[in-house]
Amino acid sequence: MHVALLFAVIIGLMLIGVPISVALGLSSILFLLAYSDASLASIAQTLFSAFDGHYTLLAIPFFILASAFMSTGGVARRIIRFAVACVGHLQGGLAIAGVFACMLFAALSGSSPATVVAIGSIIIAGMREVGYTRDFAAGVICNAGTLGILIPPSIVMVVYAAAVDVSVGRLFLAGVIPGLVAGLMLMIGIYVVARIRNLPSQPWAGFGEVLASAREAGWGLFLIVVILGGIYGGVFTPTEAAAVAAVYAFLIANFIYRDMGPFADRSVRRTPLQLLYGVVHTLWHPDTRKTLLEGGKLSVMLMFIIANALILKHVLTEEQIPQSIAESMLAAGFGPFMFLVIVNLILLIGGQFMEPSGLIVIVAPLVFPIAISLGIDPIHLGIIMVVNMEIGMITPPVGLNLFVTSGVAQMSVTSVVRAAAPWLMILVVFLIMVTYIPWLSTWLPYTLMGPEIITR
Amino acid sequence: MERLGRLTAGLEEGLVTLCLGLMTVITFANVIARYVFNSNILWALEATVYLFAWMVLIGTSYLVRINAHLGVDALVGRTPAGLRRILTLVSVACCIAFAALLLKGGWDYWYRFASVAAFMEVNDTPMPAFLQFIADWMNDGEEYEKLPRFIPYFALPFGMALLLFRFLQAAWQVVTGQRTLIIVSHEAEDMVEAAAAETRAADAARGGRH
Repeated sequence: MHVALLFAVIIGLMLIGVPISVALGLSSILFLLAYSDASLASIAQTLFSAFDGHYTLLAIPFFILASAFMSTGGVARRIIRFAVACVGHLQGGLAIAGVFACMLFAALSGSSPATVVAIGSIIIAGMREVGYTRDFAAGVICNAGTLGILIPPSIVMVVYAAAVDVSVGRLFLAGVIPGLVAGLMLMIGIYVVARIRNLPSQPWAGFGEVLASAREAGWGLFLIVVILGGIYGGVFTPTEAAAVAAVYAFLIANFIYRDMGPFADRSVRRTPLQLLYGVVHTLWHPDTRKTLLEGGKLSVMLMFIIANALILKHVLTEEQIPQSIAESMLAAGFGPFMFLVIVNLILLIGGQFMEPSGLIVIVAPLVFPIAISLGIDPIHLGIIMVVNMEIGMITPPVGLNLFVTSGVAQMSVTSVVRAAAPWLMILVVFLIMVTYIPWLSTWLPYTLMGPEIITR
Repeated sequence: MERLGRLTAGLEEGLVTLCLGLMTVITFANVIARYVFNSNILWALEATVYLFAWMVLIGTSYLVRINAHLGVDALVGRTPAGLRRILTLVSVACCIAFAALLLKGGWDYWYRFASVAAFMEVNDTPMPAFLQFIADWMNDGEEYEKLPRFIPYFALPFGMALLLFRFLQAAWQVVTGQRTLIIVSHEAEDMVEAAAAETRAADAARGGRH
């Protein structure tokens, strides 16, 4: 009963315009003060334990930073050139290339809004140039951008892994096949529409262009090898992989592509001494500092929500809510099928109002024990959650992808919602597939890393 | 108030940038140390975690200043200006209460490590030599081997004090009408509409190919 009141207060606070982090934190603090003998000092300690108790979460700022260097560093532009060279000649080619580019960028970046910004800000303009409507372009990219959190690396997966203590590596692997399937489904959808509406195609530029663009984009795409190869080769932990990715992206952007930093101006000829100074200067060049601050800002925003959600999680576990929910659900005789329906409904509704990472921190510990006792694979559950979050990101009122798409496509949020809706149907079908075909998510991690060890 | 605001703004921005940079460099250096020099920087993980805590706890007040905290503006964005002002004032009051409660909690938690438990050190991170003078103040002159705990934990009271200051500042801005919301606003429809109209005009000028 008290807990229902707690959730009512959280939602009420959010609706009157309190930041999500404060709404979660304040209501949990008040609840703890009213119904338990927790001191304010112990609550502050819980807040601090978001950092020194959850090492996995450390990967988040590094993945965000890597993605920030990628976006300012012109990697996206080169990926798009490669994607257009590969599939641009199909009917509806530029849209299909947009999805392909989003998939590739998703494999470098762990966030959906970042993917939309990086790819969308370039390709939406390009699509309009050759005659696509603004709605079509924005709708496609808004949906394809959500693949950012499904195709590894993924910030939302890191949060899920931290919340319920499963392996980040397994989750990343589990996202590969669903990510490819979702991307393919979107491409097929676009191709069908393109045939019906007779959408334009690009001229086939030849294999020379494919090779040339691949070589250009290769520096950026090699990051996929660094991240995934590093984790699965046992070279480093996911957190270290993220930090290495950030450093690699920094080096590529400054010294190979030279789209930022002191070497961006290609007309200057330098003496060796000036060259050396330039290399050192890169470390505190305004471009570097700006990117660091950008990445820092985003990390702080996400982490402060997660840290406060962890206080709420502390309340819920202290009140033994997960156990009582599990008992009542098992007593009601729910099987895995019904349980997954309910999980999807909770996440879809919650996803409308909450930021994905915060929602995962709260919901994952609630449903995890039930899933385990029903024999559902924890990795499979994680992928279901991620796909739900994808849908949450393109549905109002809180849909980060909608907001950034409205920014890059210069449309109102309401018209982006309308533009994205038809493609959303594909993602809903995909969600049902992922929910009831477990091997889509579990086959790859089982094959490469052995069977799951967390079972009932 | 204004001058204090500018000073703390520089401090916040600088600290966020510096913390993220150092975190990346330390973690990367640890990987290099392991594979190139076949050794380990023992304190790398712990130091990174504390830098992370500092970045987020200090940075969150910076986010209030630049209005980047995420929230739901679907309802307040649609209310008439008068009601919205009242709702926002209530929101800011909640935020001030939140920051004040956590400032008290953070101070209590930190104060124990700065007084009776001032001898307690962290697990791995060594005490930099140039900070040893603190031992004279806090630890009866007995040198610290590792970083004393009150140093990393200071992020709690310090960050929450900054956060309280920023929310008070935001409240003042709402009262004086310089600010309408305390969350990032996405429903700035008129601005988006204006930009869209501009693009349409540009399209028309190009001969309306669409």
